[in-house]
Amino acid sequence: MSQNGNHRCPDVLSDNPEERIAARRLRIAARNEVKKRQEQGEGSSKKVEEKEEAKSQEQVERSERRIKKLQIDGTELVSNIQVAADARESLKRDELEEARRLRVEKEEAEAKSSLEKFEEISKRWLQAKLREVPQELRDALNSQTQLCATLIEDKNKLITDLQQELKVSDDRYVRDLKRQADEVDLMTERMEEQIKTLITSYREEVKEIQCSFDQEQKALLDGNLQGWEQLRKARGDKEVQSLGERISRVEEFEVLLQKLRVEDSEEYNMIKSKLETDVQVLQQQLHQMKATYQLNQEKLEYNFQVLKKRDEENTITKSQQKRKITRLQDVLNNMKIKCTKQEKQSREENQSQTEDYRRIMLQYKHMQKKMRHFAVMDAQKFAEVWHMNDDEVKDLVSRGLEIDRLIYQQQLGLKWAPPPLPFMQHSGPVRPQGQAFSSALQTATKMLEIEEEEEEGRVEEESQTTAAEGSSSEVHVTGSETDGTGSGVEKHGKVSPKTVKRLLELLCNEAGFLIESKLLKLLSPLEKNEQSLMKLDSIFSAMGIENEEDVYQLAEFFVKFKQQQQQQQQQLQEEEEGEATSGQDDRKEGEDLIHPNDVLVALKAFTSQHCRMRDTQAVGQSSVSVVPRSVCVDVQYWESMACIISPAKLTVWNSLEKALEKYHTILTERSKLLVDTQKLRQQNSELKMLLHQYVNSRVNVELEIPPTQVIQIVKNDVFNSQSVQRTMKR
Amino acid sequence: MAETIRTVPPDPPVLKRNPAADPRKMRRIIAEDPEWSLNVVPLLTNLCLEHIASNFEAKPMLDELLPNHKAYVLEKLPPSLPLDVTANLICDEGYWKKCCVERWGLGDVAAYGNSWKRMFFERHLENIIELFIPDVTDPKLVLDMVPLCKDYVKKLNISQLLPPIKDPQKAEEDDSSDSASNGSLDGPSLDHFDFGILLSKLIYLEELHLVYGVKGCGMNFEWNLFEFTFRDCESLAKALKSCKTLRVLRIHQSKVDDEKCRMLMNYLLDHPSLQELNLSHNLIGDRGARAIGKLLNRSQLRSLNVYDNQIRGPGAQALAHALSKNASLLTLNLRLNRLGDEGGQALAQALAKNQTLVSLQLGANLLSEPTALALSQALVKNSTLKSINLSCNTLGQDGGRVLEEGMSHNGTLVDCDVRVTNIDQESEVCISQILRTNQSKTRRKHE
Repeated sequence: MSQNGNHRCPDVLSDNPEERIAARRLRIAARNEVKKRQEQGEGSSKKVEEKEEAKSQEQVERSERRIKKLQIDGTELVSNIQVAADARESLKRDELEEARRLRVEKEEAEAKSSLEKFEEISKRWLQAKLREVPQELRDALNSQTQLCATLIEDKNKLITDLQQELKVSDDRYVRDLKRQADEVDLMTERMEEQIKTLITSYREEVKEIQCSFDQEQKALLDGNLQGWEQLRKARGDKEVQSLGERISRVEEFEVLLQKLRVEDSEEYNMIKSKLETDVQVLQQQLHQMKATYQLNQEKLEYNFQVLKKRDEENTITKSQQKRKITRLQDVLNNMKIKCTKQEKQSREENQSQTEDYRRIMLQYKHMQKKMRHFAVMDAQKFAEVWHMNDDEVKDLVSRGLEIDRLIYQQQLGLKWAPPPLPFMQHSGPVRPQGQAFSSALQTATKMLEIEEEEEEGRVEEESQTTAAEGSSSEVHVTGSETDGTGSGVEKHGKVSPKTVKRLLELLCNEAGFLIESKLLKLLSPLEKNEQSLMKLDSIFSAMGIENEEDVYQLAEFFVKFKQQQQQQQQQLQEEEEGEATSGQDDRKEGEDLIHPNDVLVALKAFTSQHCRMRDTQAVGQSSVSVVPRSVCVDVQYWESMACIISPAKLTVWNSLEKALEKYHTILTERSKLLVDTQKLRQQNSELKMLLHQYVNSRVNVELEIPPTQVIQIVKNDVFNSQSVQRTMKR
Repeated sequence: MAETIRTVPPDPPVLKRNPAADPRKMRRIIAEDPEWSLNVVPLLTNLCLEHIASNFEAKPMLDELLPNHKAYVLEKLPPSLPLDVTANLICDEGYWKKCCVERWGLGDVAAYGNSWKRMFFERHLENIIELFIPDVTDPKLVLDMVPLCKDYVKKLNISQLLPPIKDPQKAEEDDSSDSASNGSLDGPSLDHFDFGILLSKLIYLEELHLVYGVKGCGMNFEWNLFEFTFRDCESLAKALKSCKTLRVLRIHQSKVDDEKCRMLMNYLLDHPSLQELNLSHNLIGDRGARAIGKLLNRSQLRSLNVYDNQIRGPGAQALAHALSKNASLLTLNLRLNRLGDEGGQALAQALAKNQTLVSLQLGANLLSEPTALALSQALVKNSTLKSINLSCNTLGQDGGRVLEEGMSHNGTLVDCDVRVTNIDQESEVCISQILRTNQSKTRRKHE
């Protein structure tokens, strides 16, 4: 790097890219060179090391060999004893074997010789048996004993020999033992010695090996140091050289630097002023930005706070709502359940009530029927009761009259004339007013009949006859009341029967829905007139029309209704068109009656009105109309009966009664007195009897003072008192 | 301050009267009392734990405690607790180390798989068995231990087995008779501990070392103290058969003769796990060796040790026959037998066929030149044998030379012991040189 940088020192940090590249290349080259040099150095040092290693290894091997040799020698030295012992043992065994063999041979020989001797002795025993001379025998015996002695001596000798041998072997065993002990001692000694020598030699060897390694290390160190020194020297030289170059270059650079400095300072000043202005501008901007920032920050903070609050509120409300929702859900569920329950209940109730209603209606009808029945029965009963009472009263009247006659004729002795008795001929109860109005149906039939007759052209006559009929039936009962249907007809004379008829027809046709379908079926085979009659009946019953009056009311209502409508229409028409034409049309329409389409509306209005009216009427009528019906007549009737005995007669009767009563009391007193006297008489007779008894009894005689005397006294007293009393009484 | 210090120690009751009356005062007292410390007051937990530790025998509870409380209780537990409480409950090594150290002093725990608990139970059981006197000690004593220690015992090293005690009079008679065979004829009274009741229950037992004899009898020596009766042998053999996990069996110095060896081998045939058999220092002859040879090919034996016995040529031939077909045996030790050249040659021929044997010891076996010749021929063919021991045989100079020649064609033998064999110095040096080259070769191979 330094060598190349003479004219154009390439710097890694310079601005020129080419220069930088060149500098890097130089650096890499320098590094490679250094590495190569290092490798070479390492190679050489390795060689040295190997050499050194070889030296030390040699030393190790040498010492190893020496140790091995020592070991082998030592073990040989130690095992020598064992081998010697083995050899000796083997020799000993040989000897022992040999000795045993000899011994056995010797013993065998001995046995043989002794057997021979024994045979000789036993032979001699046979010879000795042949001898008879005692001397000879003694000689023989002696010789035998001698022979035996020799034999025994031989044996003994053998025994002693063997014992000797045994002793010798014992000695030998002891000796062997001793020697073996010695040998063992020797062996241990040698072992210890060997161990010692081995230890010392090991130590020596270790020391030597260490020495060799030390030397090796030292040599290595020296070599390395030398190498280092050389390298250092070379390096120093190079450094000095480069220093010189560097100084010269530094001078050059200093000049260059000075120039550059001047240039740069100028440039720097220029840039500085420019930058300062820039800075000022920027600072201003910064301040502005800061202000806006501050503002924004505050705003945002405020917003943030607000949002936070809201968020909190929201969460609270949310939770509340949630709770509410759940609660309401619960409530809803409960309500649903309740509703279903209620529905069921109400349905059931409804059903039960409809059933009740039906039942009640039935009952009501029954009641009505009963009512009617009872009314009839009541009327009957009333009549019967009336008759009975009437008879009774008549009886009483007749009796009263009879009694009156008797009193007059017998007691007073006067002439009696019967009073006038107009009611006695009359029988049965006073009839109430009866059917004041004919039923709606009857009027309807009438009306219908009227129609027919009208058609025939005898309208007037028939109307009169019907009126007469209706009136006659009523007159027949009451006699006085002549106002019947005819009067009704006259009353509602405003409505002509014709219109009524037409109206009824209309009703028949339009109000068919009020008739039951079954009825229609049943009616289908009947005559037209009859059919319409039946229909009307059902319609009337449905609408609640009962009387003829109602029918007329209906008719009147219809007419009125129509007129109203017409007026309305007229008004409309008048408004729309002219007035003259409408006046003529009016008449015609009046006869045309109500338009069929309006019938229903009219009917509806009528029923509502009618019902209201009737209700109010019913409340008034039901209580009043029935009771005062026949009271005055009855009273009159009954009073006429009661007044048959006049008040004058009654005063006569009263005075007579008083007199009779006085007479009667006197009579009763007299009868009482009669009874008393009767009783007293009887008492007197009884007492007389008793007294007689007492006086006549024997007891009296025995007594000092006979009671008779006393009695006489008492009797006197009593008699006196009685007489006194009697007198007093009198 | 000084005043309070002065006043506090002589009149503690006044201070104790109502320490809560004046909080300021109370605070001062606590601050000034030099002996007062919060540590003096034992924590309730500690009190509880101590109580648990002191009543552990009556109410053992350990697993319910928190780990640090557990450690505290274990530290406090005395090693004298009955085993039926602790055996299956406590696993902590610290406790068992305490027990072991208290009982036997320091021991090498590495021999017991670094488990103090295993060490304790193995040594405990060994002690019981070693002090077991037949007909006197109740077998229940042993059987009671079984459920406690069966999970931990892997190895049993029984260094003595006591014979039954006899009547003094009878013992005198036995003394006078001075005969071992007579004693053995006495019937069941001479039988030792019956392993049949024990071995089948120790489900993890792997090693069993036995010595039918009395340790340290001193001047009370009697022959019948060292008797291995036929009945003992039978019961042991049956027990061994029932112990399916046994890996190592060692019966030392127990007068195992041919008959007993045959019986043992008979029962050990097809044993599923036996790998190491050691019958050293016994009286096994050719018939016993034949039985062992039969066993060799009907088991997974990897190591067979029958040194210091009385195996001769025929027995060796039987073993060699088995070895030639065997593919599992790694080491064979026949040191101190009487094989002779007859057996040696047979073994050498077998070695030529065998492809698994790594170590063979034929020291002190009356071998001579013919065997050396056969061996040299075998060594040329064999490429698995690494170590051979021919010491204490009279190979002679010719034998040495032959052997050297055979060795020169072999590249695997690492160790060859030819001491005390009457061979030339020259050939000995040659042999050692060859061995060294082989050694370096193998080492390089390893590297």
